[in-house]
Amino acid sequence: MTKKGSDAIIERFRSITENTHEYAKSLQGKGRLLAGYMCTHVPEEILYAAGITPVRILSAHESQAMTRSYIHETYCSFSHDCAYQGLQKNYDYLDLIVHSSSCIHMAEAFNVWVRFAGFQHKSFLITYPHIIHTKHASGIMVESYGEFKRFIEEFVKKPITDEDIERAIKVYNHTRRLLKRLWEYLRHDHSPITGSEVAAVTLAAQVMEKQECNQLLELLIERLEAEPGKEPSGVRLMVTGGACDDLRIFDLIENLNYNTNLIFMDSCTAARYFWFEVPEDRPDKFEAIAEGYISRIPCPAKDNVPGTGEKKRFRFIRQFIEDYKPDGVVFLYQRFCSPQSMDIVALKPIIDMLGIPWTELELDTTVPITQFGTQLEALVEIIKRVAP
Amino acid sequence: MSYTLKAWKDFKNYQTTRYRNYAYASEGLRCMGSTWSVLAPLKGLGDDVYILGGEPHAASTAGTFPEEAREDISAAEIAGLGFHSCSYLKLFVGEVIRDKMGITDGTIKEGYPRPDLIWTTHLCNLHSKWYQEVSRRLGGVPLYPIDMIGGGDAEKDPKIVKYVCDQMEEGIDWLQRVTGREFSDESFIKAARNEIKVLVLWGNICALNMRAPAPLDERRLIALFPPAMVDRTTDEAVRLYEALFDEVKNMVATGQSVVPYQRFRIVYFGLAHTYGHPEIARILRDAGAEIVASVYTFGTAGNFRGFVNGKWSWEPIDPAWVDELDLSSRREALSALAKIVLGWPTWQGVRSYWALEQMARAMVAEFNADGLLLAPTRTCETDFRNGYIAMQRIFKNEIPTVEYDTETVDVRKMDIPGSKRKTELFVHLMEAHKKRGR
Repeated sequence: MTKKGSDAIIERFRSITENTHEYAKSLQGKGRLLAGYMCTHVPEEILYAAGITPVRILSAHESQAMTRSYIHETYCSFSHDCAYQGLQKNYDYLDLIVHSSSCIHMAEAFNVWVRFAGFQHKSFLITYPHIIHTKHASGIMVESYGEFKRFIEEFVKKPITDEDIERAIKVYNHTRRLLKRLWEYLRHDHSPITGSEVAAVTLAAQVMEKQECNQLLELLIERLEAEPGKEPSGVRLMVTGGACDDLRIFDLIENLNYNTNLIFMDSCTAARYFWFEVPEDRPDKFEAIAEGYISRIPCPAKDNVPGTGEKKRFRFIRQFIEDYKPDGVVFLYQRFCSPQSMDIVALKPIIDMLGIPWTELELDTTVPITQFGTQLEALVEIIKRVAP
Repeated sequence: MSYTLKAWKDFKNYQTTRYRNYAYASEGLRCMGSTWSVLAPLKGLGDDVYILGGEPHAASTAGTFPEEAREDISAAEIAGLGFHSCSYLKLFVGEVIRDKMGITDGTIKEGYPRPDLIWTTHLCNLHSKWYQEVSRRLGGVPLYPIDMIGGGDAEKDPKIVKYVCDQMEEGIDWLQRVTGREFSDESFIKAARNEIKVLVLWGNICALNMRAPAPLDERRLIALFPPAMVDRTTDEAVRLYEALFDEVKNMVATGQSVVPYQRFRIVYFGLAHTYGHPEIARILRDAGAEIVASVYTFGTAGNFRGFVNGKWSWEPIDPAWVDELDLSSRREALSALAKIVLGWPTWQGVRSYWALEQMARAMVAEFNADGLLLAPTRTCETDFRNGYIAMQRIFKNEIPTVEYDTETVDVRKMDIPGSKRKTELFVHLMEAHKKRGR
């Protein structure tokens, strides 16, 4: 049966997440240059301004042992999997690989690509602050963006103008606004789109050509506006944690033996990717980009306010809880991701204080469906007893 | 005959006195943080500033009180800290949770001494997050983390040096605000010169191990660099390292060593596991195999010539260079400090595989090594496992190389039988290599 309405569009987004290479190669077939990126601190706008499509490197969730002889086993499975994609030559079609000083784990994955996967002469590492809230972070970001721009100009053999960058900023901001509108549906009961569908769309946006992505998002929102809510309201679960590009976990959360709704995902593969905007029409484009990226929901590895030691991400999480009203919280993070576990230890008392039950799931290469299912159902049972 | 170091006792006393001063100070300022930070700005606040550094304190607590260390780690895990997190961090936070502090003289102070402020570094993923947790548990201690975008020749990148200097300059204003004290540039500059001098002197002492026999072994190196970590800003620290430098120079001149039998010379990348697990050190010693160069003991609080024309060198910096440094203003002193700290060898490889590889290559050549021992630490988030696995791929066909996981502080994570077997294999590899005439 042919799917109609929003389902067909959601299907398209999902199919892009499942066939990233096919999709990216089709762009290349249309003459686009492609740059892979491994961390969302890479200012995609600068690549886009040069006519390059940024494509996020995603993992494949295959069991493998190959990367154990390149990266220490106590690095997260996401970094191992991304390194594996390089070693397997799955992304050989990329014209470039770009990274910004990130968490150590993803930096190692990038190193493997550069060192052992044939990207030595087509790679760039952007110097980027490790603490995003220092007063001087913007200054060094602006300088680094300048170096990056010069590299890209040499690569594409043409200058990148301020107009090019402004255009890119606007295209990307449009994507961010559209994604936010989509996520807005999850705030309310009887959403016309499910949380796992939103997760798939958000993930697809990270590999898509942004104009195409925007057109599809506009169409999706238009259709959703005309559709009734598709799901009965159930227990509202919010996810907070680290990178997770395995959509099966989000499907699982919404397919338990209880009626549940996934209503928010705070991670760099979901909300942290787009929950900010770059100021438009500023005279200094790099200052604008820096300001925008600094205003993001911080990555736990970079989150420490000098003077107080505050974790700014917690402010966002409190706000999301207030806006999205979860009944339960799922801490979902990559095994061995130490910054996450250091945040969770401080976050739990806050969630406890708010009277919200939580559970903790540690991700590895594959998802232990039964085990996670049991844990999640136990959480729902706790909530059902707790909730009035 | 084995040489006995004269400076040994003074070094131990210096370290213990610093900890006692922090633990029992009835007035003055208690400052906590990674001592893998620039320390001199703290001394601009006065002479009554007592420093407790996370890494050296955790390491020495583990060495002095192994049972307590286990309890500390366990307490931290029960409180929710991750099983895979840095064991130094967990030990340190565990003391806060258990409300007691161990001191290297073997005493334990009941009642954790709350710091007045935290002044620290953010380099690896956990560096400043460590102190966020301490601050939280102690009810919100003011915390100033400095972002060190270290690695890969960073000290020669003007934008990074400026970024670090700007943060420190801002940090000095913050120090004045949170303490209500006036900052003395004179005291700061004096402390800055001392800090740089100690780092350079330690580099000189380590570089003497290029000679055969190497005057110092890993066990002595590990025990001799903590004063430079604990507090390297004092006149006393400079005097200690000047005296040690003279003593070790004399050892070289007279062909003496703390371990004269050195059949094999080892270059070591790891975090002192032979110190934490003496049974492994014994395997090496029985075979006449000595660690003569190690990135941890050399490069955590020591400076060398580093990258010159794109090539790393472990040759020392002339100590006289420090005396001639222009530190006439606050900014000059901050800039000199930023450059020296960003030039620490242990930071070079944090995010730059090429720097790590070059340092290893230079160490093998300059210290005339027979083998390369790679010992990534299981819970070290960054500095002592990052890039190590890939290094084995690169060096295994060039020099006898083994790699195995280690853990110095959290004994649960150390595979002793496996590590012993690999250490024996390493000795056999070096032996076979030597027999083949290298």
